[in-house]
Amino acid sequence: MATLTEATATRRSAHRVRRRRVKAAPYLFVAPFVLVFAAFSAYPIFFALQLSFTDWHGAGALKITGLANYRYLLTSPDFWQSMATSGALWLLVVPAQVMLALTIAVALRKARFRGLFSAALIAPFVTPLVAMAQVWIILFDQDFGAVNHGLSSIGLPTIGWLTTSAWAKVTVALLVLWRTTGYAVILLMAGLSTIPADVYEAARIDGAGAWQQFWSITVPLVTRTLSFVVVIGTLTVFQLFAEPYVVTGGGPFNATRTAGLYLYKHITNSDLGLGAANSMLLVVMVLALSLASIRLLRSREDS
Amino acid sequence: MTTPSATSLSRRTLFRGAGAALVAGGLGACAPGSTTGSSPLPSASTTKPPSGEITIWDRTGDLYKVFDKAIASFTAKYPQVKVNHVAVDINAKLPATLISGAGVPDGAFYDDALLTGVAPHLHDLSQLIEQYKPDIAPYKLGVVTVDGKVVAVPWDLDPGLLFYREDIVTRAGVDPASLTTYDALLDAARTVREKSPNAKPIHLENDQFLAQLWIDMFANQQGAGMVGADGKLTIDSDPYRNVLTWLDKVRSEGLGTLAKYTQPTDLQTQDNGTQVFVPWAQWFVFAPQQLLKASKGKWRATALPAWQAGGARAGVMGGSSFVIPAKAKNPELAWRLYEHLVFSKEGYTTVYGQNDVYPGGLNTSIPSYLPALDPNTPLFKPIEALGGQDLWKVAVEAGKQVPSGYTIPTWWGKAVDYFGVNVQKLLAGQMTPDQVLTTSATQIQKNLMGPS
Repeated sequence: MATLTEATATRRSAHRVRRRRVKAAPYLFVAPFVLVFAAFSAYPIFFALQLSFTDWHGAGALKITGLANYRYLLTSPDFWQSMATSGALWLLVVPAQVMLALTIAVALRKARFRGLFSAALIAPFVTPLVAMAQVWIILFDQDFGAVNHGLSSIGLPTIGWLTTSAWAKVTVALLVLWRTTGYAVILLMAGLSTIPADVYEAARIDGAGAWQQFWSITVPLVTRTLSFVVVIGTLTVFQLFAEPYVVTGGGPFNATRTAGLYLYKHITNSDLGLGAANSMLLVVMVLALSLASIRLLRSREDS
Repeated sequence: MTTPSATSLSRRTLFRGAGAALVAGGLGACAPGSTTGSSPLPSASTTKPPSGEITIWDRTGDLYKVFDKAIASFTAKYPQVKVNHVAVDINAKLPATLISGAGVPDGAFYDDALLTGVAPHLHDLSQLIEQYKPDIAPYKLGVVTVDGKVVAVPWDLDPGLLFYREDIVTRAGVDPASLTTYDALLDAARTVREKSPNAKPIHLENDQFLAQLWIDMFANQQGAGMVGADGKLTIDSDPYRNVLTWLDKVRSEGLGTLAKYTQPTDLQTQDNGTQVFVPWAQWFVFAPQQLLKASKGKWRATALPAWQAGGARAGVMGGSSFVIPAKAKNPELAWRLYEHLVFSKEGYTTVYGQNDVYPGGLNTSIPSYLPALDPNTPLFKPIEALGGQDLWKVAVEAGKQVPSGYTIPTWWGKAVDYFGVNVQKLLAGQMTPDQVLTTSATQIQKNLMGPS
């Protein structure tokens, strides 16, 4: 009896250990990710949040200043100008990018040499930005650029592409479009490939033309991919830094100083508390804009 | 037998463990409070030969190559020293590196204009510099001194000069020796335009950072700066008004070419004779040597005109020094390197001597160490791109006249967003000189100097 009891106890104990091991295993599997996430995402976010309530300049102890940084930014014309610039660039880039990318993706769906076209389209995305920006500066130079040369050769007035507030935004937007539209096309081509061919066939049998097929089949069935493209485009524009930094330096008259470039200024100026507050405000705004875009597209999908 | 309480891995335990691992992992190293600020660097031992390894950052481009050769002269002298010489975009990378404390170099080249912004992260070199103080150009000693502490090893002096197209000026019948005042320069520009109607002879800088630096050169020439010795804002003053009024006249009379330094418009108009007069720092000479084609050999340099007859004909535009971060691993060794480059004859003659980029020697600036500034002992040769002109003599003469007492405020770099931008608006005809000065003063006072 005693032996039986001992054997049963041993079995139960082994079972318990196995159960405990099984319980611990999932945690151990996710541990590497959790550690990396905690170190490189969670900690910086919480640290930035803490910094946003201080006037830390990179040295010495943190001095809590409450909401002073947020108050300063929300009443600063410079902050709102940078947000307005990013907003203007969003309007110039994202709708045009979506339309262009969808048109090209649909046109390429049945094209021969799709692989070749895809490679050509993604090329600007993988080309070093600084090299491309230098070409942009030369192309859009007011006096000696090829673009103005082309305009004047057909009798049109030349434009201060890099020297006037309005056109400098257009020049930066064109560079962003040139660089990122190929990536959006690749995403949409992947989305289009998931639409079954028999849906189009059925529509054709029912007498639907190409235009009706596009609006009634293609667009609704790639809405999720379009949402993704819009969100990525929104994030790209509101974090835009390198393009205006290299092409215009944020000028003329700070007209192309985007939210990303304004944020960078705080860092180079060692105004880290202000920079952290700025990035928090930016996160909230980008999140709101992305959610609004998704909701708009989803409502269209639902309808 | 293991008890459940000892083996179960609760969520709380897991997160607590992860948190502890993060802290132990050294994230605390970049936490606030770990920087001591401008800490004094003690005198290095002169009896013991230096040894060890240091990392030195220099600006990408021509100067990296120049310093690479000069550093080799140091390591040849001290074979036990290994120097990791790295080319980086210092203006973009150094401030963030100093703040994070990760990967901090032992020494770095840095713009004087931006020095005050990073001063709390640098070693105080006052004790080490003390013995050299009488031999450093007073202007330069002033800009590397922040709150009474010398925070950088003063390197070069960049006197402003008037560069002009000798061929066009001669053709127009203008005597370069007559360009002694800015009014005379304006008259010369009008004369040139009469002969060449397409000419817009005077350069107008359109980059907001460089425009601010440029205008400060004109102000420095008049003994002024953005702030006075007491730290009070002096931008809304006669010296700045003189400069902006003159620039506005150049613009309104169509006598200026608005362009960004070395951008396509700038180079094309310099090459094709649209631009004839460029009042700029000595480092403008880089363009005729490396960038201009058609006009190479046709440029000459002379002293800047004066703002009033008999006034100072020199001012400074830019300049750089060497900084030793407070978190450097081997600051004493970095000091020994910079002491060699700046204050030893062997060092400065190697820096300014012949190299691959500048076969006749580095001629874009002159040393700020006065014993090196002998007009009869040139460190670089006459320049072919200036028609064989002896730029050394012209630059040394100007360098010795630079007014002292110039203070760079801690917010100088940030002021570009206000003053630099407003100057751009002036040059585009969107603001008057008075509007630029009053608006900039208000903006700087409110955003950069107000109660923090």
